[in-house]
Amino acid sequence: MGNDDHALIRATLAGDKDAYGLLVARHSLSVFRVAFRITENDADADEVVQETFLRGYRNLERFNAQANFRTWIYRIAMNCALDVLSKSKKHTASPIAEEYDGEQPTVQLMDGSAGPDRLLLSLEIETRRQAAMEKLTPTEHIAFVLRHMEDRSTDEIAIALGIAPNSAKQAVFRAVQKLRQSLAPLWVKS
Amino acid sequence: MKHLTEEELIEHYYSEDFYKAEAEMHLQACLHCAQAYEEFGKLLGAVRSPEPPARGSDYGAQVWHSIEGRLEPYQTKKKRIYFHWPQLAYAAALLVVVAGAFLAGRVWEQAHRKPALASNPQQAKERVVLFVLDNHLDRSERLLVQLNHVGAEEEKVDLPLRSEAQQLLTDNRLYRQSIAQTNDPLLTAALDHLERVLLEVANSPNELNSADIARIQQEMNTQGLLFQIRVLRTKVSEQETHAHAVQKGVSL
Repeated sequence: MGNDDHALIRATLAGDKDAYGLLVARHSLSVFRVAFRITENDADADEVVQETFLRGYRNLERFNAQANFRTWIYRIAMNCALDVLSKSKKHTASPIAEEYDGEQPTVQLMDGSAGPDRLLLSLEIETRRQAAMEKLTPTEHIAFVLRHMEDRSTDEIAIALGIAPNSAKQAVFRAVQKLRQSLAPLWVKS
Repeated sequence: MKHLTEEELIEHYYSEDFYKAEAEMHLQACLHCAQAYEEFGKLLGAVRSPEPPARGSDYGAQVWHSIEGRLEPYQTKKKRIYFHWPQLAYAAALLVVVAGAFLAGRVWEQAHRKPALASNPQQAKERVVLFVLDNHLDRSERLLVQLNHVGAEEEKVDLPLRSEAQQLLTDNRLYRQSIAQTNDPLLTAALDHLERVLLEVANSPNELNSADIARIQQEMNTQGLLFQIRVLRTKVSEQETHAHAVQKGVSL
């Protein structure tokens, strides 16, 4: 696969634009999946995918022939996702009204044994998870998604974000701490 | 017992801890950490993002069609750059190294030449002094040899000793004064001794006879002075040779 990617890159740089189309077809789905995990929105994920392959084409000359195209395009995708996240955080008012207040450590949840109540708990968890994710910085957000949802190692996260492995580890750690602060009260009465 | 930190618990949850076995053993032995770890497990287990919606097998083609119109084909020369980039980079790096070595060599040479050039006038002066002193000692040696070889049986000595001694006397005074400023007691003493001999010869009656010369030889110890002058000539010649070699080395 890697060698095929390199052959397609050489063909693209030789003037065969359609060769890049094959690269797009080969890697679009995986880029979309991770883009959706980060943005949690169909339209945003599609935008990230398109922008990623546009930037990839325009910077193809800078691609190091020794590198892996998938890793390289993932890194571009992370940058595009960061842009989308930053943009959405800038323009969107907090969508969750029920933010966790540190001075009010418990929430009024009913007994978790009943079916409807458990459903309510799940809904509450999801609401708070979204709120907590909104609180994360873009780097923490992507680092956590790659670690927790995509099961990527610290080194892979560091490469994707273009940061040091220790910084990637700290980003995951801070994200988990923030999520814990937001979600911990749900277990008090559940 | 030292408890696991939050960071260590999180690393253990994601199986990224270096000491996984030790952490596992600790969790089995420590109720406090085991509860904290269970809490983390519940928390992180509950965090699930929505699954990505399904995309058809033609998704890649759709993406390509959406961006294709905005892309310009690459020119052929761009391919050449792509293929030869590493070689060009190596060649450029080599060129920079060679140029750097050349410049470093020039800088080093200049840095080491400056002090030598700065001392050049002093060295040149020393060389001139050594040269004229050597010449003076040579003439003085010849005069002393003549003086020492006059036979006692000769009643009248027909040699230009007096006029030669007068010329040497003037020069010797200058050299003695110059040398007195340097720290060379042997040379100073020798020139002083020589001056007394020259003074005696220069102030002698117009016609020196063998008796006069014998007296001078005895009183002034001219044999000893001749030896001293020969030693000094050897020393001065060596200094002159050394100074010349240094000068040549500098000019290289």
